[in-house]
Amino acid sequence: MEVAVKTENLYKYYYTGFFTRKIKALENLNLEVNAGEIFGFLGPNGAGKTTTLKILVGLCKPNQGRVWIFDQLSTYVKTRERIGFLPEAPYFYDHLTAEEFLSFCAQLHKLKNRKTAIDSILNLVGLEPARKKPLRFFSRGMLQRIGIGQALISDPELIILDEPMGGLDPIGRKEIRDVIIGLKEKGKTIFFSTHILPDVEMLCDRVGILINGKLVTTGALNKILSESVENIELTIKGLPPEAIVRLQRNTQKTFVAEDKVIFSVSNEEEANFLLQKTQELGGKLVSFIPRRKTLEDHFIREVAKESKTQ
Amino acid sequence: MKILAIVENTFKEAVRDRLLIVLLVIGFIAIASAKIIKPLALGEETKIIKDLGLATITITSVLVAILVGGRLVYKEIEKRTIYIMLAKPVHRFQFIIGKYLGLLLVIFFTMTVMTGGFYLMLYITSTPATYSLLLAIVLSFFELSIITAIALFFSTIATPITASLFTFIIYFISNFTRDLKATAQISPSVIVKGLCNFFYYLLPNLSNFNIRNLVVHNEIINSTTIFLSIIYAVVYSALILCLASIIFQKKDF
Repeated sequence: MEVAVKTENLYKYYYTGFFTRKIKALENLNLEVNAGEIFGFLGPNGAGKTTTLKILVGLCKPNQGRVWIFDQLSTYVKTRERIGFLPEAPYFYDHLTAEEFLSFCAQLHKLKNRKTAIDSILNLVGLEPARKKPLRFFSRGMLQRIGIGQALISDPELIILDEPMGGLDPIGRKEIRDVIIGLKEKGKTIFFSTHILPDVEMLCDRVGILINGKLVTTGALNKILSESVENIELTIKGLPPEAIVRLQRNTQKTFVAEDKVIFSVSNEEEANFLLQKTQELGGKLVSFIPRRKTLEDHFIREVAKESKTQ
Repeated sequence: MKILAIVENTFKEAVRDRLLIVLLVIGFIAIASAKIIKPLALGEETKIIKDLGLATITITSVLVAILVGGRLVYKEIEKRTIYIMLAKPVHRFQFIIGKYLGLLLVIFFTMTVMTGGFYLMLYITSTPATYSLLLAIVLSFFELSIITAIALFFSTIATPITASLFTFIIYFISNFTRDLKATAQISPSVIVKGLCNFFYYLLPNLSNFNIRNLVVHNEIINSTTIFLSIIYAVVYSALILCLASIIFQKKDF
């Protein structure tokens, strides 16, 4: 599988107070993002997410380590021809109209067919009616959309988005989600950082969790979540009351509702045992649901674990 | 093409800024005031109108270079618009050159508009317009090309107020570099001698570009001096831009 982004032993420090205090932003960051996937980059504020993204696009230089974008060192300016970047809470040239701004971005990419590219981007981000409007009159959501538009103007293979849903209302978030899904369908690689975990669960193939500059978790989202199954709920129909009392001893929790009973057990083995018993006692399985921890639960646990080790 | 895009964007940004409009209006008022001053000139009308016009064009353009140039790069960093530009396939030196040429275009625009106003005033006051007046304005433009490079250099390392202040101080001292040389020659102190010599060689010699007095008094202008001054402006500005690019290359955003 082609690797879109690869970081190797990345370290970044900042100095404050006349170089007297050294602040660690990234520590030995080794990360891989595969081509064609949506990768969610999570972490609390100040974890180093934005620093990482800035290093990928050449706004920052690491103190140590290297970055490859599609097997090319990120230090080459040419690498950025394949990248589209949306910074966090972006500001734009407010003296320009949407059309002028996109034209400017297209020129920086040396695009030949600028007019077609601008038209298609304005349609994609739903800003065609506002093409002649100066950016200073744009709402927060519109600015975010024109930001995504400028990132996509050159039809890049890798799209890096820093908090793309930040400050947006639910409708705005859905629009951005739809754009991201559309990009994945076109085979693009999307690497984005966010605080909004439900969006990550909805969109991402893989995630990485960065805490205090260290990558503490990385992997497929479904694998991370399946490893954290909290319990399994079995809904059974047609059990006589005395059978419910007998089976209750083998469960974590029992809830009786009309003709159904819901048993909660801690693992798959117990669930299979309970299922066998209920069938012997005349019960019928209605549903079998493994209750997973949410990404938020996992995230909070990782943050708590990391702060204990500090 | 990338540099041209940055030039165009810088130009649009500056001409849509209120600051430039305000400076142009003040400049026009100053040129027009020649009409009021004329009756008080006591036979020196032509000299006063020409002097005032040339001085106004230079001062307005210097203010544009210092005030607009001083915040040119800093504003991009502060407003984070630089994230958009440098994340694209653009070399940092292209950014610096584009910004510089953009501002130079703004100054060219300012000087052209002001010169139009000045020639109109010459026509209204029936003052003869000579070719040498235009030459003085052209040389002022090359003087400003150095000031613009210095303003841009400071803008990459300092806040707009600091950058503008430093540029203004350098502009002021650079108009008296010959006095620095003279002080170095007559001063008994080794320290004063050393400092005066250091600044004489470091700072641009802007007095080379000032032929306004010669023009106003209809004196002969040496074309070789003008040609060498233009070459000097190009080389000095290029060196400053190289320095600005080196500093900018190392910057983290």
